[in-house]
Amino acid sequence: MNKTDYKIGASNGAGAGAARGETVRAGTNCLVEQAVGRLYRSHYGKMVANILSRYPDLGLETAEDLVQDAFAVALTEWARDGIPNNPPGWIYVVIRNRAINRLKADKKMWVVADAGQADTRSVVAESLMGEALLSMEEVPLQEQVVDDEQLRLLFACAHPDLSPKVQVVITLKYVINLKVEAIARALGMTVDGIDKLLSRARKKIREEKIFLVEPHAAGLVHRLPIVHKIIYLIYNEGYKPASGDAVLHEELCGEALILNKALMDNGLGGRATAALHALMLFNAARFGARFGPRGELLDLEDQNRELWSKPLIMMGCDFLRRAGGLEVEGMSPVGGSTFKGGGVHGLGRGIPRDGAIRGGTAGAQPGAGADTDGVTTYHYEAAIAWVHCTAKSWLLTEWRLISRLYERLLEWGPNPFVQLSYAIALFYAGERTTALAILHQLLQTPAMNQYYLLNATLGKLYLLEGHPGRSREFFTRALGQTALVSEQEFIRRKMELIGD
Amino acid sequence: MEKFLLLIREDAEQRAKMTQEEFDRCIQIMGGWVESLAQTGNYISSEPLQHRGKVISKDNIVSDGPFIEAKEAISGYFLIYAENLEQAASIAQTCPLVLAGRLGMEVRPIILFGNE
Repeated sequence: MNKTDYKIGASNGAGAGAARGETVRAGTNCLVEQAVGRLYRSHYGKMVANILSRYPDLGLETAEDLVQDAFAVALTEWARDGIPNNPPGWIYVVIRNRAINRLKADKKMWVVADAGQADTRSVVAESLMGEALLSMEEVPLQEQVVDDEQLRLLFACAHPDLSPKVQVVITLKYVINLKVEAIARALGMTVDGIDKLLSRARKKIREEKIFLVEPHAAGLVHRLPIVHKIIYLIYNEGYKPASGDAVLHEELCGEALILNKALMDNGLGGRATAALHALMLFNAARFGARFGPRGELLDLEDQNRELWSKPLIMMGCDFLRRAGGLEVEGMSPVGGSTFKGGGVHGLGRGIPRDGAIRGGTAGAQPGAGADTDGVTTYHYEAAIAWVHCTAKSWLLTEWRLISRLYERLLEWGPNPFVQLSYAIALFYAGERTTALAILHQLLQTPAMNQYYLLNATLGKLYLLEGHPGRSREFFTRALGQTALVSEQEFIRRKMELIGD
Repeated sequence: MEKFLLLIREDAEQRAKMTQEEFDRCIQIMGGWVESLAQTGNYISSEPLQHRGKVISKDNIVSDGPFIEAKEAISGYFLIYAENLEQAASIAQTCPLVLAGRLGMEVRPIILFGNE
């Protein structure tokens, strides 16, 4: 018995030793994988753009292939030889050498087809050889949180011919350097769907040389609203509590904040940039409080306000002040602050109310609009978020002020989702009949009829109005309108309040 | 931003065979798209059309239609804002039912009249 025991012990010991050895190797591999992963995240788009600007003949697809290949090579060679001193430089040299080889191969075929171009060929070959002799130290890739090349790419992605969705996808791909699977997870789309969008976008990038052209200064100003929109969309995708992968989503919010901050730090941003930053910070302050102890979704009303990050709210206030245009008096960092005159005095000063904003081509610039004073929708959204952030409780929120801010927001253009929020604010401000009338009007539109949040809102408000029957009716409808378990649970918890 | 009309084109036969549940599901999918359009500030309005109608010809003759011969019929519309025709088309391409090959869209810029 003892012998056997010993034997088992020995074999266990040997097994443990082998496992330790594997752990060490796995640890190195893991480090290399992490290093390559990090580098991919910080450099993928830059390397593609860099190699493409040096050798435009490669074409976008080949350039992307070469960069992908180089990262794969790094993964195996670094695991064997260790991580080099200048990792991005190492990878860049691999890409460049392969690019040169590829071009030389292409040139040969081309020269065979057209022997008359021999002179050109030798010049090209010479310059290519010269490039290949560049030492690693000369490779111009330094480490910065967001560098000029990334900002240039960000503005390139904000091409007005592309849909906002495509702009977001290519920004995630080439500026934030997410892989296709991560983009799919982030946007709640299939890998196939992202691939389809990307392949169409690549065609456009190729045809219009989007990554090669330096947008001139005037172009940068024109594209700034689009850049803001991209940043805000990425932030919102990260903020959505519905889908899984919490780490990825928090990263998206972080990336959006970093990019937006980089705009300001590089003198590219304006008042809208500051307003957007304030808005994102106010929302970020509530990031962790959106979930209960069991991971369940909590709406603003049920969140523990003690968990809201006061430093982030303070930073948000600072940026909202910098954004200007709202004439917010005595805006103290946390609580107790009011707008001058207890209302919206001076808010949105300069916004014509006579329809000049609604009509005309320069009119409603939804989502990224600015009036002549440079006040944007972000200013109003940030102001609303600020009122929520500084309110003592849900019921003690300045609902009348919030409803007026939503009114201003609606002047930018029709938006049924803003109308829904407006009606909720009106209800809590005491204008219950008007609020319910607006909600029923929304219910008649095909866009909102099947929207779970509208039906859930009606369920909630009818319960407060003392109509449990109608309440149950609307909650039941809402339940059938979302496929997301987290949202269904959210509705069920609300339904429990109805009782019998 | 300019205004665009997106005319939804759909296989008339398939549309006729659709059950109420299938139709509701489509409306829900389109609702999700509307939400993303509203979020990006591109949405103005949209409505689906009933599967019936009359056609009045140039010589003022009324007939039922246009579904009998037409393989594709207009089944709804969207009004959207977009930077230009290219972007409007790019937006139409992101419609989930277009991506699923269920419907097509015609994208038409709306003529705007200035007051100068």
